Amino acid sequence: MSTQAIYDAIMEFEDDDVVEAVKEAIEAGVDPQIILNEGLIGAMDEVGRLFSIGDLYVPEMLMAANAMKAGMQVIKPYLKGDDGGKGLVVIGTVEGDLHDIGKNLVSMMMESAGFEVIDLGIDVPADKFIETAKTNNAGIICLSALLTTTMTTMGETVDAIKKSGLGVKTMVGGAPVTEEFAKEIGADGFAEDAGEAVVFARNLLAS
Amino acid sequence: MAVLLPLRFRILHLMSTKDTGVTSAEIMQELGSDYGKEKQFKKKAMEGHLISMRALGLIEVETVNIDDYDIVLPDNRPVVITGSSAPNIIDPKTGEDRRATSSDIANIANLINELDGFDVFSISTLAQDAPKGQISVSRFYPALKNCKKPVRSNTPTIKDLEDVLELGAIIAGGKEAYKERPFINHHYCPVVSPLTMDVDSTDAVIYLTEKGLPVYGTIVPNAGMTSPMTMTGTLVLGNAEFLALSTLIQLIRPGAPMIYAVLSTVADLRTGNYAPGAVETGMLQMAHSQMARFYGVPSGGYIGLTNSQINDAQCGYETGINTTGALLAGSDMFNMGGLLGSLMAFDYSKAVIDNEIALMLKRMKRGMEFSEENLCLDLIHEVGPGGTYLDLKHTQKNMRKMAFYPKVATREMRKKWEASRSTAEERAFEQVNKIFENSVQKTFPAEIDEKIRSNFPGLVKGDMVW
Repeated sequence: MSTQAIYDAIMEFEDDDVVEAVKEAIEAGVDPQIILNEGLIGAMDEVGRLFSIGDLYVPEMLMAANAMKAGMQVIKPYLKGDDGGKGLVVIGTVEGDLHDIGKNLVSMMMESAGFEVIDLGIDVPADKFIETAKTNNAGIICLSALLTTTMTTMGETVDAIKKSGLGVKTMVGGAPVTEEFAKEIGADGFAEDAGEAVVFARNLLAS
Repeated sequence: MAVLLPLRFRILHLMSTKDTGVTSAEIMQELGSDYGKEKQFKKKAMEGHLISMRALGLIEVETVNIDDYDIVLPDNRPVVITGSSAPNIIDPKTGEDRRATSSDIANIANLINELDGFDVFSISTLAQDAPKGQISVSRFYPALKNCKKPVRSNTPTIKDLEDVLELGAIIAGGKEAYKERPFINHHYCPVVSPLTMDVDSTDAVIYLTEKGLPVYGTIVPNAGMTSPMTMTGTLVLGNAEFLALSTLIQLIRPGAPMIYAVLSTVADLRTGNYAPGAVETGMLQMAHSQMARFYGVPSGGYIGLTNSQINDAQCGYETGINTTGALLAGSDMFNMGGLLGSLMAFDYSKAVIDNEIALMLKRMKRGMEFSEENLCLDLIHEVGPGGTYLDLKHTQKNMRKMAFYPKVATREMRKKWEASRSTAEERAFEQVNKIFENSVQKTFPAEIDEKIRSNFPGLVKGDMVW
């Protein structure tokens, strides 16, 4: 029994088929770690490749991530230790800003790359970011802003996180946010898009 | 007496207009609109007001600075406005993209004074040098100090809004005088599609509506992301959101002037990027304009934006196609001047070219000026076959008012053009430099300026620096 059926079901964005294929593989005695790496993450790597060359569009990437997540729910109890061990990320849109599409995209991509993500949603005050990161021992806090007028709040939030004394790293993103701005406000990282955010987060936690 | 032939193109069949209206009303009645998750519009409050919207026949009285610059909708349509609130500017000296400052706002205001195509100055950029707590006054002060035209923009908080209103009152000589003739037009994006209302922006709209000051909102559904991936689905949703905002405003102050401003776009789903320059943006604006006419409300908003990062051919065709479509469909107001890269950076040469596009749109709106005299039957008879019209008094009498003579577009023959080999962007920059060579900064009387500066200690200088 291979993991091909799981891989194929993700490539076809069929949540139910992924769940069924993962269950069948478990029953057939396939090593859960192989189901995860070759089936679920293997398919998401291919999705990422196809997206980067422009063959897949954003909705397809999201649907694949959802299908992968459905499979993850089934396999999770069978995995030893943590769920891939890539680190915990707290993410949210800064206070005063209600926009969340970009943030959701980053959140989903990080989850499908094996990060554990706590998504605090929109309009998140600085202390909520800090409190959640502290309680869950997060490695990274990701801040999002769409409005040019809420970018200043982003700076204040990064400041507050630094002052809190937590060892957590900060990453920022959103349409008006640039690498230069990220440096200006003292954030540890900046990503242009969701794919870049995942790569950056991996590097940030490895450093 | 010339009769103006209306240039109007319908993108929606009459029945589709009604269907869209009815479907939007159904969406609002069934779903309501989520205002900060807690203050949901109640179904009861929606009924009646949705119906009365059509009969209001609303007229928006825009802002006023100086008599010559009074703008009234729909009388002065099409009204052309600069694009607003870009964080960056393309530095006019180095060509580099950098954060914009309050001096840039003062400079841009002086440029806009000289560009006849623009009727209202929506503050083009943010001001990075704003002192703490003065983000908004650091934008409005240089704009009002330097610009002769009405000023428009937004504020992030009620405190900022109150500061801006205080600034207006000092300039006008008191709160009542300002209210009598408000020269600031406030604009917000109170709706976060789908069907949600942003708390701070909605609070600002409520605050200004209660005070009877000019305010309107732009609604921005993004097909494939925040609205359905069909043109009509996005039209229906954006229309429903306009009805939600209208209902709120009309509940607060029945008869309050409205502008139907919806910037529906289609997301580029290859990347998820925002695509205001897409041709579908223009098509949706045309359809929304038709819906606005159905309700009897002036229409328009952000149309003619570009995704291009430099002032190139893409800039020209994205702005040109979408504004022309909107004009032909009857849009009254165009927020279109000077911004690159989906509203991220102001560019001087783009503003000059947009000014030329604005003047061309206004010429197109003027139409054919049909009259018996203008048919020139006698003249055609007189000149006869093979004659010339070049040396006639009739030609001389009409030539300056009939045609629009562009300053940026070249009509030179190849040989002459080769002497400079200039591009449209370079010719636009020549115009910018010429304007600043002769520019004399407009400013407030000394006592008003002193009063402003003592009210807002540490405020930016707000002067032109070129």
